[in-house]
Amino acid sequence: MDHIEFPVLGAKWAIGSIALFHTAVASLAIGLAFFVTVAQIVGYIRKERKYDLLAKKIQLIHVCIYNIGTINAIGLVFLLSGLFPQFWSQIFVQFYWSLIVEEFLFFLLAATLTFHYFFWDHLWGHKKLHIFLGALLTPLFFLQFYIINGIAGFMLTPGFGEAEASLSTGVLGWDRFGFYNPSFMMLNFHRVFANVAYGSFCAAGLCGIFLYFAKREKIKAFYEDGGLLAFQIAFAAFLSLPLVGYFYAHILKYNANEAYVNLMWGRGDITAGGVDWWWLKHICVAAMLGICLAFFRKMSKKQTVFTIPSIMVYSIAIFYLMFYVAMGMVMTWAFFWFMLLFCLGGALLGGHLIRYHQGSGRGVYLLVAILSFATVMLGGYSREAARPRFEDRIAHYDKVFIPEYRQRYLMVDIDPQDLPVVTALVEETGPESLIRERCVGCHTLDRVKKYPLDNWTVVVRQMEAYGLKLTNQESRQIIDHLKSQSPY
Amino acid sequence: MDLPVIETPVAPRWVWMEEVTYSHIPIATLITAFLVLAPIFEYIGYRLKDDRYDRLARSMVFFCMILYSPGAALGTGIPMFIIGLWPEFWSRWANLFFWPLVIQFIFFLLDVFFLFFCYYLPWDRMKDRKRLHIFFGVMTAVFGILIQLVWDSLGSYMSTPSVPLPAVNEPVAWSAAAFFNPGFPFLFFHRFFGNISYTMLLTGGVFAIKYLRQKNPSEKAYYGFVTDFTFTIGFITIFFMPFIGWGFAKILQQNSPVIFHSIMGGHASRYFIFKMGLIAFMLLFAGGYLFARHRNRFIIGLMTGGIISTYLVLHWHPALDWLPGGVTAWRATYTVIIIAFFVFLWVMNRGGLYDRTLWRWAMFVTGLAAFFAFALGGFTRSRARQPYNVYEQLVKVEVLPHEEDRFFLYKKCIRCHHKSPKDLERYEPKDWQNRVEIERKRPGADIDEKEAERIIKYLEEYY
Repeated sequence: MDHIEFPVLGAKWAIGSIALFHTAVASLAIGLAFFVTVAQIVGYIRKERKYDLLAKKIQLIHVCIYNIGTINAIGLVFLLSGLFPQFWSQIFVQFYWSLIVEEFLFFLLAATLTFHYFFWDHLWGHKKLHIFLGALLTPLFFLQFYIINGIAGFMLTPGFGEAEASLSTGVLGWDRFGFYNPSFMMLNFHRVFANVAYGSFCAAGLCGIFLYFAKREKIKAFYEDGGLLAFQIAFAAFLSLPLVGYFYAHILKYNANEAYVNLMWGRGDITAGGVDWWWLKHICVAAMLGICLAFFRKMSKKQTVFTIPSIMVYSIAIFYLMFYVAMGMVMTWAFFWFMLLFCLGGALLGGHLIRYHQGSGRGVYLLVAILSFATVMLGGYSREAARPRFEDRIAHYDKVFIPEYRQRYLMVDIDPQDLPVVTALVEETGPESLIRERCVGCHTLDRVKKYPLDNWTVVVRQMEAYGLKLTNQESRQIIDHLKSQSPY
Repeated sequence: MDLPVIETPVAPRWVWMEEVTYSHIPIATLITAFLVLAPIFEYIGYRLKDDRYDRLARSMVFFCMILYSPGAALGTGIPMFIIGLWPEFWSRWANLFFWPLVIQFIFFLLDVFFLFFCYYLPWDRMKDRKRLHIFFGVMTAVFGILIQLVWDSLGSYMSTPSVPLPAVNEPVAWSAAAFFNPGFPFLFFHRFFGNISYTMLLTGGVFAIKYLRQKNPSEKAYYGFVTDFTFTIGFITIFFMPFIGWGFAKILQQNSPVIFHSIMGGHASRYFIFKMGLIAFMLLFAGGYLFARHRNRFIIGLMTGGIISTYLVLHWHPALDWLPGGVTAWRATYTVIIIAFFVFLWVMNRGGLYDRTLWRWAMFVTGLAAFFAFALGGFTRSRARQPYNVYEQLVKVEVLPHEEDRFFLYKKCIRCHHKSPKDLERYEPKDWQNRVEIERKRPGADIDEKEAERIIKYLEEYY
């Protein structure tokens, strides 16, 4: 036996399930921390105790979730080191110090969070200090996943080919070029906004649940206002996601083309079980958008503390419509129509829920929180599934990539003869890759394949007129290849 | 096997490791002990209809809630540090114990679930369903103990490995023989009672200070009560320790003799002696206080039993090598000390000394001594295992040549002669060349030329 087998689930799904669970819990913790701070500040400025009470209630849930997430992280470490030893060893060779700093932040976070919640009443006379402590959690969380995103980004877009460029650093356990990989910043932006949206939608969802059980009018008003505040924060963060997502996809197109193709056109594990999970994620997003727009349109007519004007609601709708048009151009138009359909369906359902609950947002809060959870899970899965799979789970350290230059720092009793030879990544060339890389900049390959005529010279010239940059040689290569009807 | 090893800045890697471990272990052990005792106290309060026990149990669980997150965060740091700093050790060790580690993680999740959602948070809401609430407390304690059980097994394997450590590319994942290694039950019980003892003495010490600061009479009465209660439990539990410790030492002597010799007169003995000094200090003050405080027969009976058992352990213990006069002097010494202790108790029994402010501070210092005695235990064991990560299976990366030679000397010479390493210091004349040449010719001695040279060189340099 070369590696440990995980019964029933298998190694891939064992890691996948625990990693997704961890993502759901950890992301929620980050979002809840942000919401708690905003609620505390609102309560302090408006001198309304109810927001502080809500913040305390949410923070208690946060403490519980945080502990579950922490334990889960331990499980993830054990499973990774046992089931994917080669991968885990490689990560430690390159990112050991990043992980240790991450651990330090972990401890700081745990201590701050504990102090903030359990000394809530003790610090009543020092409210500013208490709010500051709570506010500290958000930057600490961001710093923590800044580090994790460096490693997660590296897994999808390793940048300088297996960190070979980091040879010049000669520092053990810290791979600067690997860490600051091409998708690092976009992944950070994407997760920051997504986590705030997810956590705040969930805070609103919790208010929705409490509303279902509340009987006294005062309590109902308390959760209604709290839910609305959370929903507003979540929606504001949610709005930025198409923009960030678009640029993130752009980075993937050039630095992780295979993953990009898998995502956009449903290949590999993205369509495991016959379902396109990435489409499903977008269906959830579209439905959420529709529900939110219907909700805020209704709310804009009410005289509440937090409202979005109608004009802004329609502007957001147009902005999203543009996003889906762009996605339809890149992917397929079916994607555009599907999203439009689900967005409209969501809007109808949102309107119905508000009417059914006589103006209360409880149904909307709860439904959007569930959809938000599904979105986070599906998004996490899609990113992992888009990446090419591990061919084999080789035993510990046997084939860990250790550059020769760094061996004298890294190894004990080194025998270089035993090390596997590492070859640099070979870039694809030829007309096939030219077509795949250049044409998909504006439209799908399906459009090329479905084009019925044979006037490729004219078509390519037209594309160049639209802005496609090709040398004469590249242009000729593409035309010849398309005319020959060879595969690409 | 060539493996990448991370170099640490500022301090050597073992200092970093000890730092992380010793910040996690006190928190984890305190939580485990508190969660074991909280449902018991709650049950006592429920049966006696005395709210003070319930308040005590709740405050202990509240304290666990505060410590849980930082403790768990530090706990995740331990494998991270080990994986980077001792990669071969982690790979091979995790290869052997993959399933216990995964199961431990499941226990952890269940522990959090019961602690947070079933025990602490619904405390008030379940005040009319006390039995169910106590049951949830018991479940929390059970999973806490199971977590400790797994770690004690994995930890004791490092000192008494019962099967060879698998290679890096040999994932065994589970071995019953390795899990149930000879040192496992002793380490588990040693830690279980040790946890309860040190945490209760420390808690009693802290409550003693809180008692001094209270102005409200009812609060003062409560803190007076809990000080006595927790301190008494801590003191009584400690009397299990000599027996368990004796058994643990016996197991080490049989299975890992070099560790035994390292502690008993070897390079780790100074830590062990210091630990014993702390325990003696603890016994003196805690015993004096409790004898004067509790006049009921039960407590006095337990204390008498404890003193007799301590006397027996001292009786079986060989004479201390630094005490001149051999066995007779040793027996006379501990007899005199115990008689002096009785005199001390008799003095304490007069005049209500125990109620003085100074004594409350003495209780606090006793609690601290208990904590440091506990911490020193783990440190002594890891020092005694040098130069191995896993006894005779895996040498530490940062091993120094003299550590390897010392181990070799203990193994080849001390083990055969059944003597303490201290005997080598007293040996005269220091003609090591001749002595080793004579000894290696004795029947059963297995030392070749090269090995003899190594031993002589070490003896000449260090003795």
